[in-house]
Amino acid sequence: MLFLQGLRSSYAGAALVGTRTARYFEAMFDSSSPSRPAVQPPAPRPLGQVNWLGLWTLYLKEVRRFLNVITQTVLAPMVTALLFLAIFTLALGRGDLVVHGLPYALFLAPGLIVMTMLQNSFANTSSSVLISKVQGNIVDVLMPPLSSFEFTLAYAAAGVTRGLLVGLVTGVAMMVFVPLPLHQPIAIFWFAFNASLMLALLGLIGGIWAEKFDHIAAVTNFVVVPLSFLSGTFYSVERLPENWLFIAHLNPFFYLIDGFRYGLIGVHDGDILRGAVIVGVVNAVLWALAYGLVSRGYKLKP
Amino acid sequence: MSSRLEPAWRTPPSWGRVAWYPLWSLYRRELMRYRRNAPESVGGALIYSLMFLAVFTLAWPSTIELQPGVSAIGFLVPGIAAFALFHGAFENAAFSLLYDKLEGMLGDLLMAPLTPLETVVAYVTAAATGALITGSIALGVLVLLVPVPLASLFPIVGFAVLGSLLFALLGFLTGMWADKWDRYAVIDTFIVMPLGLLSGTFFTPALLPETGQILMHTNPIFYLIDGFRSGFTGAAEASPLFGFLLCSTLVFGLGLLAWRLFARGWRIQS
Repeated sequence: MLFLQGLRSSYAGAALVGTRTARYFEAMFDSSSPSRPAVQPPAPRPLGQVNWLGLWTLYLKEVRRFLNVITQTVLAPMVTALLFLAIFTLALGRGDLVVHGLPYALFLAPGLIVMTMLQNSFANTSSSVLISKVQGNIVDVLMPPLSSFEFTLAYAAAGVTRGLLVGLVTGVAMMVFVPLPLHQPIAIFWFAFNASLMLALLGLIGGIWAEKFDHIAAVTNFVVVPLSFLSGTFYSVERLPENWLFIAHLNPFFYLIDGFRYGLIGVHDGDILRGAVIVGVVNAVLWALAYGLVSRGYKLKP
Repeated sequence: MSSRLEPAWRTPPSWGRVAWYPLWSLYRRELMRYRRNAPESVGGALIYSLMFLAVFTLAWPSTIELQPGVSAIGFLVPGIAAFALFHGAFENAAFSLLYDKLEGMLGDLLMAPLTPLETVVAYVTAAATGALITGSIALGVLVLLVPVPLASLFPIVGFAVLGSLLFALLGFLTGMWADKWDRYAVIDTFIVMPLGLLSGTFFTPALLPETGQILMHTNPIFYLIDGFRSGFTGAAEASPLFGFLLCSTLVFGLGLLAWRLFARGWRIQS
């Protein structure tokens, strides 16, 4: 404020005398008035413990990035999920296929919703970081006064936002065809949130690690898609052979899908409480890893 | 005297009625591009095919029979391969044209001594060839994993070529129409994927209600997939000959449309 006042007064004086620049510098370095210097050099804004404004700005930038192409980022996944619902209900349903005592469409819908959430939270953070790296504008988010914590949080939160938004839109669209009873809201929220967070963090780590689009396409094709397809989205893991069942229980995606399905329709294959704890722990570990990579500047800073 | 003042232009090569050499060059360039993108496109198609197979096998009660006398897997595998093939053809053609257009490389091509028809033919056939390679790989892997019947090779090859040409033309038209990647994604998600997945790829019309059955029989893609599958299972829902004629007409019509639009420079030349 003081700085601005000084500027203004110096400009007013400059206009009177005529040589504006000369007057301006005179005013700037004028030491004849000891009580109050005409101009003070700009000082950095005090940021406090957390740079809330910076955090919020980066978050908004990330959210606007995907909202800008909402057809591709929100509506397209919804349509794909509905397509899957149609195919599997038509091909498998025939109205008489029953899983856990429920019609197959009802069993399938929660799996498809959470699968869509998983794929989209991953896509959001991984593509954002990678595009910034490839285009070179990553410096624009590394230079500002944002700590590694704020950086990680803003990206992860935007990924979670996309995941939850896509999940919500897909869920509402599916409600038109399949009435979902919303059995346990707390479980729905906990598993939806953790599913989005887990993949947003994985996407962040993947985006930091990848050097070109082929890398991230490979991770999507060979890790994210198979895991989200084969972790009980389309079938009850009880149908797996014995030794596969054991492997399924080691897979955190299984707990995400199983828990989310329990929240929506009340049936589950595994232990819900154990699943809730496991996904929380996995997310804490992934958070630490992502934060560590960002703060070390791994493949981000030269 | 006058002959000395004339600029020493090189005479352009005379290409005859069809510029076979430029046509072949463009076709080869497109195939080289396909090979460069192969790890991604073939890998993606392969993963999705295997996912579909795994998921259906695990979710299906083992006794299910979609078409009388045909095992569920025997019914499923041709559908999965057909989808990989058709989607690949669309993707190849649309990607090539749109990429060239957006990167400003299409100008080089419009300057080249190729008639519009030759350009369209080179793009579309190269996209179809790439898709046939992708589809063969996907089918090959599926056949290695599960037993698939084989009735007659003729409809398999015929409908595969026809279908890949049809979808390559659709992709070419999409590439011409789209002015950004977003538009391409819209056509892919809202038109090509539903067409490819809901046209009897994974189920027979008999499973649908009355209106669905009528809709299905007005859908040319259904005839493509049904005909393709009949080469494996030997059982067709509709007449393969009728399907072949219908789809040939469609390919011819779309080819004509693509050619005329390209010749007019629709959304390509300003």
